[in-house]
Amino acid sequence: MSSQHPLWHNLFRRKVDRISEVTEMWMETPLFEKISKRECRELVKTMHPRQYKKGEMVFNSGDIGASIVLIRNGAIEIKAAEKLLAELFAGDFFGEVALIIDEPRTADAMATEDSELIFFLRSDLEEWVKRSPKSGAQFMLNIATVLAARLRHTNILLSLQSN
Amino acid sequence: MLLNALNTPLSRTLLIFSLMCLVIALLAILLAPLLIPIIISFALYAVLEPIAEIFERHGLSRNAASLSVLLILVTLAALSVSLLLPHLSSQLSSLQSQLPIVWQSITEMGNDISLQIVSSLGIAIDSNGITQHFFEQANTWGKSALIEASNILINVSILLVLVPIFTFFLVRDYRAFRNHLLDMLPNSVFEQTWLIYHRVAHQLQEYIRGIMIQSIIMSIITTIGFYAIGLDSPFLLGLIAGMLNLIPYVGPLMAMVLPVLLALGHVPIELWLVGSAIMVILIAQIIDNVFVIPSVIANAVNLHPLVVITGILIFGNLFGFIGMVVAIPVISTANIIYNGLHQSIKTRHSLKKHNLAESV
Repeated sequence: MSSQHPLWHNLFRRKVDRISEVTEMWMETPLFEKISKRECRELVKTMHPRQYKKGEMVFNSGDIGASIVLIRNGAIEIKAAEKLLAELFAGDFFGEVALIIDEPRTADAMATEDSELIFFLRSDLEEWVKRSPKSGAQFMLNIATVLAARLRHTNILLSLQSN
Repeated sequence: MLLNALNTPLSRTLLIFSLMCLVIALLAILLAPLLIPIIISFALYAVLEPIAEIFERHGLSRNAASLSVLLILVTLAALSVSLLLPHLSSQLSSLQSQLPIVWQSITEMGNDISLQIVSSLGIAIDSNGITQHFFEQANTWGKSALIEASNILINVSILLVLVPIFTFFLVRDYRAFRNHLLDMLPNSVFEQTWLIYHRVAHQLQEYIRGIMIQSIIMSIITTIGFYAIGLDSPFLLGLIAGMLNLIPYVGPLMAMVLPVLLALGHVPIELWLVGSAIMVILIAQIIDNVFVIPSVIANAVNLHPLVVITGILIFGNLFGFIGMVVAIPVISTANIIYNGLHQSIKTRHSLKKHNLAESV
């Protein structure tokens, strides 16, 4: 009751808006390590939130990718050749390869629940790198670290399979 | 049969592309009276947007940054008008007074040449007829140029009001408006459309910035050159040469006409002056092709020269000078959109085929 009535609102409690919430989510990923929250927040303002229904494809393997995607809420399934690669939930991100190269997507991504996804486009990243080269370089280093970790993980899986 | 033919990626691309062209053409017809201020404002936006970004980075709000950029634009325009206009108008009036002498000396030169041909080869040439024809042609061009100039004068006053307003709102709101419009797209085409949009915007911005810098450099080089060889009205001629340089391939040839005519107008005719005027344009072109284009314009447009020339001629025939200037950006934009559409439709088509084959 009290929470619905404006009179009972705590006037001094900070209102958590979408931008602050998404900024917090990105800041918790390894991609924004050593990058200031202020810069991340400015970047979040340029990102694109989109709603997906359960069962809707986010992208198909072969589509030309142009962005990295953060799950604000909902769940996403990543599949390649009908094989389930990962199930991702709020706070997870996917499609980071598209931020670096202009190549087709290598897997399918489908919403397994109604989801809200935040798209960070390569064009916005390029503009940001031009504006803030130092933070941009740090971001690129972070992406390289994430991709290297994924490559290492895949190599281990392959070697385990061959053994 | 027809449905099958329409189901191929190429025919679907062509269909969607034609529909897009139709919508754009309808919009252009609808906005025809405002098209020139809109084009100029977009060109200015491409140049001013990075400056507004720098202001924003230094803590100004978008409103304040846009206003500052507008103030810079208006101040620069006012300064250049007050500084250049008296100089320009005096050169223009001296050019006007010189033109009859130019025609006269060209007639005399034609008569001399025909007399020499008659005396040496025994062939009679109707030089008066040729010069008469030339004058009639020049007269028609001159009249149409005068009509166009008076139209320009009327339009300039409208432009002076509209362009700063359009430019201010473009710098302030264009990004938000664009984001809002593109966010309205369905999920299935969102990323693809952004990608195509980004390629088009990037290429256009590079081209507009490049060609403006190129035009200024060419104006400076030719002005210095014409001044050095002692040609009259060097500043005006340099300015015209710079403006004509906005038209690839055809522009530099057009830029040669006026200086050469003026050089021919000197009494007695000084052939070295004619040669020097041509040399100035040629040297400016060499500098342009060797240094300016590779470093400033580079790969801003990747079109075959034949496409460029044909496009310029068709657009020039349809829309005059402005048509010749916008021909290249319009063709290269259409090229990117078509390729992006085709790539996207082809990928989806092959994916559909693959899924169908798997389900069978």
